[in-house]
Amino acid sequence: MSAPEASVQVSFKNRAKTALADRTLKIAIDRTTGTAEAKRAVAVAAFPEFQAARARGRAIKDHVIAHLDHYLEQFERNATASGATVHWASDDAEARAIITRICLDAKAKLVTRSKSMLGEEIGLPHALADAGIERVETDLAEHIIQLAGEAPSHIVWPAMHRTREQVAELFKMAHHLPPSADDPATMVQSARRELRAKFLGADIGISGSNFLVADTGATCTVTNEGNAELTTTPPRIHIVTAGIEKIVPTTAHALSLLRLLVRSATGGELTQYTTFHCGPKRPGDADGPEEMHIVLVDNGRTRMLDNEFREMLRCIRCGACMNHCVVYRQIGGHAYGGTYPGPMGSVLTPVLNGLAGSRDLPNACTMNGRCAEVCPVEIPIPTLLRAWRIRSWREKLEPGSLRAGIGIWAVLARRPGLYGLASRIGVRALRLFGKGGWIARLPLAGGWTAHRDLPRPAGRTFMEQYRAQQAHKGSRP
Amino acid sequence: MTARDRILSAIRAALPHERPAPDAISAEAKALLADPDTIRPRLVAEGLLDAFILKAEAIGTTIDRVGGMEAVPDAVRRYLSGHGLSLSLAVEPTPALTALDWTGLDTGTTLAPDQPAALGKALWGIAESGSMIVHSGADTPILLSFLPLHHIVVLQESDILSHLEDYAAQLAERPHPRNAILITGPSGTTDIEGSYVRGAHGPGFLHVILVASTD
Repeated sequence: MSAPEASVQVSFKNRAKTALADRTLKIAIDRTTGTAEAKRAVAVAAFPEFQAARARGRAIKDHVIAHLDHYLEQFERNATASGATVHWASDDAEARAIITRICLDAKAKLVTRSKSMLGEEIGLPHALADAGIERVETDLAEHIIQLAGEAPSHIVWPAMHRTREQVAELFKMAHHLPPSADDPATMVQSARRELRAKFLGADIGISGSNFLVADTGATCTVTNEGNAELTTTPPRIHIVTAGIEKIVPTTAHALSLLRLLVRSATGGELTQYTTFHCGPKRPGDADGPEEMHIVLVDNGRTRMLDNEFREMLRCIRCGACMNHCVVYRQIGGHAYGGTYPGPMGSVLTPVLNGLAGSRDLPNACTMNGRCAEVCPVEIPIPTLLRAWRIRSWREKLEPGSLRAGIGIWAVLARRPGLYGLASRIGVRALRLFGKGGWIARLPLAGGWTAHRDLPRPAGRTFMEQYRAQQAHKGSRP
Repeated sequence: MTARDRILSAIRAALPHERPAPDAISAEAKALLADPDTIRPRLVAEGLLDAFILKAEAIGTTIDRVGGMEAVPDAVRRYLSGHGLSLSLAVEPTPALTALDWTGLDTGTTLAPDQPAALGKALWGIAESGSMIVHSGADTPILLSFLPLHHIVVLQESDILSHLEDYAAQLAERPHPRNAILITGPSGTTDIEGSYVRGAHGPGFLHVILVASTD
């Protein structure tokens, strides 16, 4: 194992440790994920057909992935016919280059952006900064983290790690007319005032896409704030970035998946605004951009088509898996260190960044299965995380001490006689560390005993006790 | 090799060599929408109108019912006065609205920065979700639905559809507009500590004037 890998591994553990020690963070996470979990439960209970809809949603995504080339070509034809320009990017660097080129050719000074996790994945914020273009995030949460100079910590609520007091502090420093109080309503008003001029003055608006509709060539965005339409309508150019797996056959399929997406994400039934953008403004239209560019991004997705992670391509980015994850709810999103946090992120980050630097993520999981239970498209996330663990073992990425330990255990586990002997010695040896019925300190097990005591073992193994009991029974008349 | 070729050939390499014909793929896609009643919510009331009203009000939309289009200007005046607003608003330049008698109200087709209200006409309502649909066009500037603090929408009762699929069918029958928008309640956000605040960037108030069917 090389040194850089080791440092990344240490840093995940360190990030998690720092997060666990941060009480404010824990309060912030609990406030949002707690509400999300409760609201989702209510929304699902009010929709008895949810399980059937979920199975159908899964089937729609599986169908599209099985015919991905067909649908991408159909989408490209129809989007082009609507007047949009379709670009293809194999990886993040190509995507950044395409978008920066469009911005520079248009001599754009100000770009507004409507929240898109793909934009984060391809490193768009930095690319625009490097090109000397002012970028204004318009989603309220993205606005908050842009002011804080942070990355999103959740795919639906990117600023959920910040309390209202922290947000108020940021707005007071950055807004031209600082908010007078720190209640959420006053702060939302302040952001509305601050961003209005940016919406209307932007040269280019960049959005993501929740769905690409193959038979119309339209791209669909959903927001609760209305910032997507305000981002994509006034500027002269609208750029859409979308992962190639976002495709659906028709508008009806998109709407069917939307029922699952919104209930799973926020517990609402539909977002306040759902827009299908199809091409630039038509001749005579009262408003809209003159140019529309759609950048279709692969960035590792085609690699997932024929390996054990194919089912992850069904993901519709609702965030339910992280809201229900016991690990995410303790450490929050930043500790994961990738673009996508939580269970879905632990599957995707090794695809995007390589397993060597992210092998701790599939291990940061208790396998309790909550994520798979709430996933609206039935992705078996624990199975996929286990697949990464298997790969990590095969590729020998674990530290030598861990591999040696598991190796010794494997030797014993495959030899019952030897295993029994080791157990007999083990339980007796363990008693030597016990004081008053409890073991408070144990060599090599500091990670456990630092926080809790082990009960002192009985002194005989289970098998020994079982045999004794059976013999006792047999001796009775 | 272009990125397009690289992506498409990577997909083809990963998928089975024997591929169904486009017609077979379409048939499969269509089958995924079969028996819609088994995969969508039932309406919350028996009639489309009652279901629409219940859903719309549940998400913070307010509703005023009038007997005909000619009663719309009065309903607008009622709403503006009720909120203590000046009798001035932007009216979408669609003939159904501009043909009305706006005497006594200050109307224009563009929204001034300090103007709080705009009026538009929805093409359809959806009973399933209390949504309304707006398409961009020469008479329908999209920004009028997003810039004002108070968004007033005229909807004919006869234009209320049952479910989202019924709207998808309507959309498929006509040329796709630049923007096809479903509006489901006033703009809101839960981005600060998950607490719900109305009027994030779009309208904080969504008011529907429901016009009774004349037939």
